[in-house]
Amino acid sequence: MDAYLSSYATIGALALVGVVIIGGAFLVNRLLRPRRPNAAAGKRDTYECGLDPVPGGWAQMHIRYYLYAYLYVLFAVEAIFLFPWAVVYLEAGRAVIVEMAIFVGVLALGLLYAWRKRALTWQ
Amino acid sequence: MVKLPPMDYAAIMPLLILFGAACLGVLIEAFVPRRARNITQLLFSLAAVIAAMVFVVKRAGNVTAANAITAGGAITIDKAALFLQGSLLVLAFVSLLIFGERTLEQGGAFVAQAAVTVGSEKDKEQAAKSLGSTEVYPLALFSLAGMLLFVAANDLLTMFVALEVFSLPLYLLCALARRKRLLSQEAALKYFLLGAYASAFFLFGVALVYGYAKAVDFASIHTAAAVGAGNITLLITGLGLLAIGLLFKVAAAPFHVWTPDVYQGAPTPVTAFMAACTKAAAFGGLIRVLYVGFDGLGWQFTPVLGAIAALTVMVGAVLAVTQTDLKRLLAYSSVANAGYLLIGVLAGGQLGLQSVLFYLVAYGLTVIAAFALITLVRDADGEATHLSRWAGLGARSPLFAGIFTFLLLAFAGIPLTSGFMAKLSVFGAAVDGGQTWLVIFGVISSIILAFPYLRVVVMMWLSEPGESTPSVSLPGVLTSTALGVGTIATLVLGVAPGLLLDLADKAAAFIR
Amino acid sequence: MTPMWYIVLAAVLFSIGAVGVLVRRNAIVLFMCVELMLNAANLALVTFSRINGTLDGQIMAFFAMVVAAAEVVIGLAIIMLIFRTRRSASVDDANLLKY
Repeated sequence: MDAYLSSYATIGALALVGVVIIGGAFLVNRLLRPRRPNAAAGKRDTYECGLDPVPGGWAQMHIRYYLYAYLYVLFAVEAIFLFPWAVVYLEAGRAVIVEMAIFVGVLALGLLYAWRKRALTWQ
Repeated sequence: MVKLPPMDYAAIMPLLILFGAACLGVLIEAFVPRRARNITQLLFSLAAVIAAMVFVVKRAGNVTAANAITAGGAITIDKAALFLQGSLLVLAFVSLLIFGERTLEQGGAFVAQAAVTVGSEKDKEQAAKSLGSTEVYPLALFSLAGMLLFVAANDLLTMFVALEVFSLPLYLLCALARRKRLLSQEAALKYFLLGAYASAFFLFGVALVYGYAKAVDFASIHTAAAVGAGNITLLITGLGLLAIGLLFKVAAAPFHVWTPDVYQGAPTPVTAFMAACTKAAAFGGLIRVLYVGFDGLGWQFTPVLGAIAALTVMVGAVLAVTQTDLKRLLAYSSVANAGYLLIGVLAGGQLGLQSVLFYLVAYGLTVIAAFALITLVRDADGEATHLSRWAGLGARSPLFAGIFTFLLLAFAGIPLTSGFMAKLSVFGAAVDGGQTWLVIFGVISSIILAFPYLRVVVMMWLSEPGESTPSVSLPGVLTSTALGVGTIATLVLGVAPGLLLDLADKAAAFIR
Repeated sequence: MTPMWYIVLAAVLFSIGAVGVLVRRNAIVLFMCVELMLNAANLALVTFSRINGTLDGQIMAFFAMVVAAAEVVIGLAIIMLIFRTRRSASVDDANLLKY
């Protein structure tokens, strides 16, 4: 048990070294830099490539994204059935592979429909 | 080695046909030219329903206790399931005819692009020219297939999935009305939010029952409940949550609030489909849950469900009196009818089940005919559903006013109509099953409910047609057929109900 | 720690969702409350699966997740439809249907 735990000590030491290096760099930076506080207007604004920042941090996504989001959600989540299937398909034989092919085929049908209805075209 | 569950393809053929046809319907939608789509989709869907019906009838001959449960215990194709599937197919066939009607209005009752902003140029153009949506056929087929699965589900998980498969297309169908689109979309939103809410209750119920019984198939639940080991609270709470989900679908009070809004807002063909088929499917599921899975808890759920049934018949009848819109009136009448059906469910036994099965078919056919007739009475803005607009219709169009009068009398349960036979069998079964107090409520409710029906009748025949009385459009072949089938069935089942009653009697047996 | 606490957690989450649907007014928030309820049910299923010592519950949670995803897509599509025809997602603005 001890040996097992001590193998973590290496990782702990490494993490410690990492913290010391980064913290040290910040500390040295702080010690060496000049300190001239100055509350000029706009100093604390968000930096936007030199332009004056435009008010408001909220931006609405364009509505055209939502179709992609829907399609993604559906196909991503339906893929969940592939996981239990992937565990057994080698043992279970051909029928299971055919069944999954039908399942994926039905999903593909949905994609085909979306494509024909031009849901995938950027407009 | 993983052992695959045996599949009895002959038994689940109707399901496979409908799901396959719905998928092919999506392909038709994608590849057949726009002009030919409606007729192609309509004929194809009707053919699919007929094919499924053929397999249901074929199966009915050789179903036994041994071959009923299939697909790894997920599906039971017993006689009750076959009866319900068959009646769902018949009802859906008739409603699909109304879906396909194109002569009343250019492009039919459905809108092609539902998201166009109301009042915009594009909106006007669409109202004037577009051919209308044909996605409704695959959606209806998906929904129908879900219903067929729902009434045959042998475990709660299959039931949950089927519940969603038949609900989700319905939410979309509700949003697709061509006229009064805002109303229709609002109905869809309400239906969706409340439906999703109810199905979440159902799922949590499934989880609790699973926790109690260690399985979700009805036989295991039945056995576990009979043994009675473990925390019985889990089981009862689970059943309560399941019941909320199911009672929402059958539109029983206090879970009925969506019904009037959705019935009014949805396109009328969809309303007809929902009123007939959703009700049949939901009751099919409810009786299976109660009498196959949870029959051991009978003395616990009967009083509660009895109170709900009494509340439902009263709420539906009293609120129907105050309505001024025909679709809402029929919606509240449908709530009250859910109550009568619940009385039949609580009656239990062979007689109770038989009466419920008979009632579902009789009511479904009548209600489809009634909504088909509502699609005919229209003015420049589409259907004129406000009650005052129907005043004097008898003078304008005696034939259709006569048919509607007959249908309303059937709803009211006047002898020589199917409504009378249905109510008689349900109440008879309830008296037989020791639920006389419910029958008293049922009779009082029927008397109250006769008033709004008769008011419509009086209005149609005794008022003079005014300026605003709309004309009755001449129906096309499809709506006429639906109307004719519904009306004749209402008459035939009222005069000679024996055949269907016998069939329902033979079917009133579940296999666990 | 007994797994029963997870059932309690699931029940609490479910209740939060159920109450949320009743008191909130924004369709998207309502919708998230329903999702919370479904996920509470998933948690209960997985926990019971552990307690019962069978894997069925986990598979059921898979099905519930997929159904929930389909529901999300349909629901958001309807909400988007309403938003595009009238530019609002508040349930109270959808008030044409009254009894």
